[in-house]
Parts: sequence; C-alpha cells; structure tokens
Amino acid sequence: MADYSIWVLEYAAVEKFPFSVMMYGPQHQGTRKLPYAYVLLKGKGETILIDTGYDHVAFGKQLADAYGVSNYHGPREVLAECGVRPEDITRVFITHAHFDHMGAIHLFPNAKFYLQKSELDKWVWALALGPEYRFLTGGGDPADIVRAVEAAKEGRMVLIDGDQENVLPGIDVHLAADTHTYGSMYVTVRNDGTRNGEDKWVFAGDLIYTYDNLTGLDPDAPQIVPIGLAVGSQHNLIFSSAAMLKSVGGEVRRVIPVHEDRLRTTFPSRLTDKGLQVVEIALASGEKSRVG
Amino acid sequence: MDGTVGAPDEQPLLRYVAAARPAQQLVGEALKQVAGFALLLMTSPGRASLAEGALTAAADAAARAAEDIRAIPVPGRAAHHHHHMRAAAEALRRACAAALGRRGGVNRDDLVHALRAASDHLRATERLLPGFELIDFGQACCAAHAPPRFVCEVA
Repeated sequence: MADYSIWVLEYAAVEKFPFSVMMYGPQHQGTRKLPYAYVLLKGKGETILIDTGYDHVAFGKQLADAYGVSNYHGPREVLAECGVRPEDITRVFITHAHFDHMGAIHLFPNAKFYLQKSELDKWVWALALGPEYRFLTGGGDPADIVRAVEAAKEGRMVLIDGDQENVLPGIDVHLAADTHTYGSMYVTVRNDGTRNGEDKWVFAGDLIYTYDNLTGLDPDAPQIVPIGLAVGSQHNLIFSSAAMLKSVGGEVRRVIPVHEDRLRTTFPSRLTDKGLQVVEIALASGEKSRVG
Repeated sequence: MDGTVGAPDEQPLLRYVAAARPAQQLVGEALKQVAGFALLLMTSPGRASLAEGALTAAADAAARAAEDIRAIPVPGRAAHHHHHMRAAAEALRRACAAALGRRGGVNRDDLVHALRAASDHLRATERLLPGFELIDFGQACCAAHAPPRFVCEVA
C-alpha cells in the first residue's frame, strides 16, 4: 500500500503553446496545451507541495494579456479539490527559483520550504555580474526573494546541499546542477518505503516539460531530447533526465512533468467545474479518491 | 495611459516613464542582491560572505538610483508613481545600511523590514504605470513563446 497519496493539480494553462519551446530543436511543430500545476502529497502526517505556483495578484493580468496564461485559480480553490487548505501545507519542495515555482511562498503560512543551496549561491553570484548578464537571472521576482528572507527569519527556509535521502520518510531530493537553472532539484517519492521498490515516482520540476523529452518523437529510435530553456547546459539536462529515468527502471510514466497535458490520460483524472485537471497518481491507505 | 498615448499632452508622462524605468530596474536588481545576501545570512551564515561583493555593489546602486530618481522631472500624473519610486530607493538604502552594519553586526529586524518596504513600494511602481514590469518573463517557460520586448517599446 502506498505511503503517500499524490495528485498533480492544474492551476492555470497556456492553451496554445509552441511545441518548439518544450523540446530543443523541433521548429514549426504546432502547439500544445501547457498546463501549470503543482504536486500535492499527503501521508506520514505531512501535507506536502512540490512548488507553490505564483500569485495572480502580482502579475496575473500581465501574464494573461501578454503571454496567454489563462484560467488561473489560487491555491485555496485548487487544493480544496483534495480537501486541503493552504494553511494545512507543512512542507514545500521548491524545484527552482523561478516566479512560477516559488512565487506564492506567502500563501502557505505554516509550511517549511526546501531549496537547493546552489540555486541561491550561484543566483546571487550572477546578480552581481551586471545587467548585460540578466539572461542568467531572468524569471526571478525580487518580491519572492524578500518573502523567502521572511520565511528564513521565521526558521521556515531550509537550504539543501546536493542530494539528500529521506528528507521526509521515503522522500529524497536530488540536485541537477547547471541545468534549467543553477540548482534545479527533482524529488523522488519511494511510495512503498523501500529503496528500489516498484512504487517509485520522480517529480521533475522543469527539467522536462513533456514525456517526449525522455523518449524523443520517433518511437523506433528513442532518445532524450532536452528542453530549450537553460542557464546550464543541454548536456547536463540530458544526463539528469537519464538519471531520473534510470531511477525508475526506465518506466517513462513514473517521471512526472507537471507541464505535460497527457498526464490526464496516463493516470485517473477529473476535470473540475473550474476547468482544471486533477490527476491522481497514487492513493495512500484510507484516502478516498478525488477523481472517482 | 490609454489609446491617446503619444498625444502632445502625454509627452511629459512618456518622458517620465523613459527616465524612471532604468532607475526602477536599478532598484529592482539591487533589491534582489540585498535580499539574496539576507537569505544567505539567515540560512547559512558562513556563506553570506559570498554575497558581500554584491552587497557593496547594491549599496552603490541604491545611492545612484536615489539620486537619479530625485532628478527626474515629475508631471502631475506621475506624482504618485514617483512617491513610490523615492520610497523604494530610500527603503533599499536602509536595507543596505542594515546589511552593512559593521560594528553591531547585521540588524536582522531592520534588514527584513526595509526589504519588505522596498519590495512593496517597488510593486506599487509596477502597478501604477505600464512599462515597469519587474520580472523578465523571457526565461520562464510560460513566456518563452512571446515576442521579445525592446526598451524602445517601453519608452
């Protein structure tokens, strides 16, 4: 039986997103829906998020008007689909420091946050380089860093240095250095508690946007094709993808890209009355399904 | 601003936006640097020295931004915006002073309060007039598909 119930919860989307951004290389391949989502885990006395999403109040209109991000709903509405309130969240793993992944720290007042140390160290270093190097620090919101400082002052911000097993029981974090960002992190949930059990899941952050990053587009000649956005290297993205895939015995569906629209057909899912997908990855003992 | 942008009576406001935008960016970048230092200080004090160079640069930038902001001609319609610009720069200077407090060490309460104030005033500048966005969305997956935005379009 699973230790943690796991859901991927959509909170916004870009309906027509160029596929060429999701994979490095293929141009003029049309568009796909790009959902925005975070991951909710419940079990072992903890209620956990992987990433926070962003706060629509700050720049939602700008994202909607200029970039086509639509149907945003805040965490109170989104988490309610699984009977959870923002105040219930006890831990948050932040995969990287972009605004759409750590832009809502202030909405989870009782949570402890986990971020890779190198994400902060190298970002601070890059900030000192000057405006002509701003590509290296783009996607960061000064308000998010200030909120992180406030959380740190309250003892609710933990910096992790590299890989660490059992940060919580059965949950490991891994550093994917110099990839999408300087200190991107992916999260492994060993849901039967054993080291190499079959019920193991990897939550990839933005290291991959779609399953196609792990398989390529030709089923007869599979290959790893990295995403197109990186301050690190495509080389490192490829090898971090390979490591994630290897850790789940090569079973592609167990490496979860939250931006993948096909999660809703790969796992049991439900469309809410707000037009958002709830995807159910696993159910712990005693937990009722939220998609049935 | 609305569809009449560019009309003669809008020119002072447009000149204000063009002059104020670089100063606001300077404050925003410096705020990230000071906040980054503060985060290192509070999570791993031994590593805060990594950010001391950035902190010194941020203090210089804050002083420069405050001077630049004071020197900008302010049309009536930009008065509220300019108030927040000045307040953001002033709060940032207080944050730098708290972070650089040598003899008595860093005053964490003062530092956090000043960072919060600078962030709030900066957010107000983003909200009050167009062209003052604080985040470079070009490195975020939601926005990589959008056409690039050039400085001349803002001004």
